[in-house]
Amino acid sequence: MPRDILVLVEHSAGKIDSLSSQLLAIGQRLAAEMRVDLVAAAVGHRMENVVEDLQGHATDRILVVDDPALPLASADVQAHVFAEVARQIDPRLVLIGYSLVGMELTPAIANKLGMNALTNCVNIELRDGAVTVTRPLFDGTMHAHIALDETATAVVALQKGSVPATAPSAKQAVVQWIAIDVNSIPSRSRVLEITEEPKGDVDLAKAEIIVAVGRGIGDKEKIHFTAELAEALGGTLACSRPVVDVGWLPRERQVGASGKSVAPKVYVACGISGAIQHLTGMRDSKRIIAINKDPNAPIFQVAHIGVVGDLFEIVPALTKAAQKAQTR
Amino acid sequence: MNIVVCCKAVPGLVTDLKIAADGKAIRYQGQLLAINECDEYALEEALALKRSHGGQITAISMGNIKALDILYYALAKGADKAIRIDCESQDPKVASTVIVAALRKLDFDLVLTGTQSRDTLGGQVGIAAASLLAIPFAYAVVGVEARENHTVKVRKELGGGRYAEVELTLPALLCVQTGIQPLTFVPPARRIRARQQPVGSFSVADLGLQAEQLVTQGYRFVGVRPPERTHQVELLEGSPQEIAAALLHKIQESL
Repeated sequence: MPRDILVLVEHSAGKIDSLSSQLLAIGQRLAAEMRVDLVAAAVGHRMENVVEDLQGHATDRILVVDDPALPLASADVQAHVFAEVARQIDPRLVLIGYSLVGMELTPAIANKLGMNALTNCVNIELRDGAVTVTRPLFDGTMHAHIALDETATAVVALQKGSVPATAPSAKQAVVQWIAIDVNSIPSRSRVLEITEEPKGDVDLAKAEIIVAVGRGIGDKEKIHFTAELAEALGGTLACSRPVVDVGWLPRERQVGASGKSVAPKVYVACGISGAIQHLTGMRDSKRIIAINKDPNAPIFQVAHIGVVGDLFEIVPALTKAAQKAQTR
Repeated sequence: MNIVVCCKAVPGLVTDLKIAADGKAIRYQGQLLAINECDEYALEEALALKRSHGGQITAISMGNIKALDILYYALAKGADKAIRIDCESQDPKVASTVIVAALRKLDFDLVLTGTQSRDTLGGQVGIAAASLLAIPFAYAVVGVEARENHTVKVRKELGGGRYAEVELTLPALLCVQTGIQPLTFVPPARRIRARQQPVGSFSVADLGLQAEQLVTQGYRFVGVRPPERTHQVELLEGSPQEIAAALLHKIQESL
């Protein structure tokens, strides 16, 4: 019977990424409660550093596929490889990050393994003996709690959240290198190149104060309200995706899963509802202030300070107060 | 190039939310149904590809009779044909099985859809359908270029400002991001005219599906409620000036 927990790891430059660390912390807790093994799987090329990084995350086993074709393998090939690795241990649960890469791979891996996929989950835990996940519905205004049947398997894709990192573990996992001839996997797509967004004039990562504007601003002509606030506070103007999509601000100012990840001292979210794609990029900010007219907006789930109200009243008043404080 | 666009009718307002007696689904009254935002961008991309390369666009949607509205909207925007699949399920495995059965009846080079629907927020059905059809796929696509040799070159997001350029041999399925094309305005007169056009329909029987393929398996809903606050947000009240003064104080003490 399938029983163990398998975590599919994302990594770059020889290090596992923060969302994968989080999955391993969750997996560690869950495996202990379920009294099963925690297994990590990573695929790529020149994997020694990744394996070393994975040791210390309290796994029982580490499965590795090392092949020069993997870093530029197409998504269907990557899904094939991960499914092949999963079949080696016949897991009860496969945990994967709900990153852009995870979003692309999860349904394909689940289909290949004949499993259900539960995506965009904010939590997974044992509740009354059943593996239970929590995931958002309806723009994040509601949460569904879903219990797996007793013997059911699933691929669970988890959002980046605020799970405390676990202390480094001295446990040495058994490392198993799995040989898969990646070039022989049939595929009708190929990756031509990986590119980075060209660096613009705006460096959001270095900003101490970010004033971010969302769709709630309603009109390109009104962006100046938030730009003026950013200036008065000595901060940098940023935005959520919809503002870029309609061309009100350039892509280089976008915070979120597709754009920049930031963690300034102060993040002022004006008219941002708080779609998960945005929260992923800013939830580590030290102090989050949200101004939104909808009290149910998901942004208030991560905000430390909230104002339920009209941003066209609050933002100009705050700008004025900041300007006054400057001249004093 | 013949393109099928899969679009979903999603509610702007949801009431009477409850779990079905068997725990297999969430029931609700959905009002203000509209085309799911990223699916509308998928339609815009299809229209752009048609303008430069010709071909036919078929818009399909799975749902009850209310989903007709978004199919008329797709026709008004410029889709050549529209088909409703008469089936309701929010389960991604069921939905992808049904949509694949419909796609097998259609002639296409490319399937376009969005990344995620705003109601179920799962983001699974597109890729799951491609996987079931065993055709190449790409997710979070922000650019599509049709090429001569029956391929498309797409640009897709990897997150954190990184992109991949990928070549896919047709037929292929792409889940497109919002913003891939500018949204076009549809004059009301054209929307009214579109309602005169026929919309095809497939029943699950037409698609040769068995009842057990339409049943959610392996999990059940045990709760649906507003998110639990993991930490308490401090809500400020007062006049705009009072709130501004309090906010400024909070900002200054954070630096």
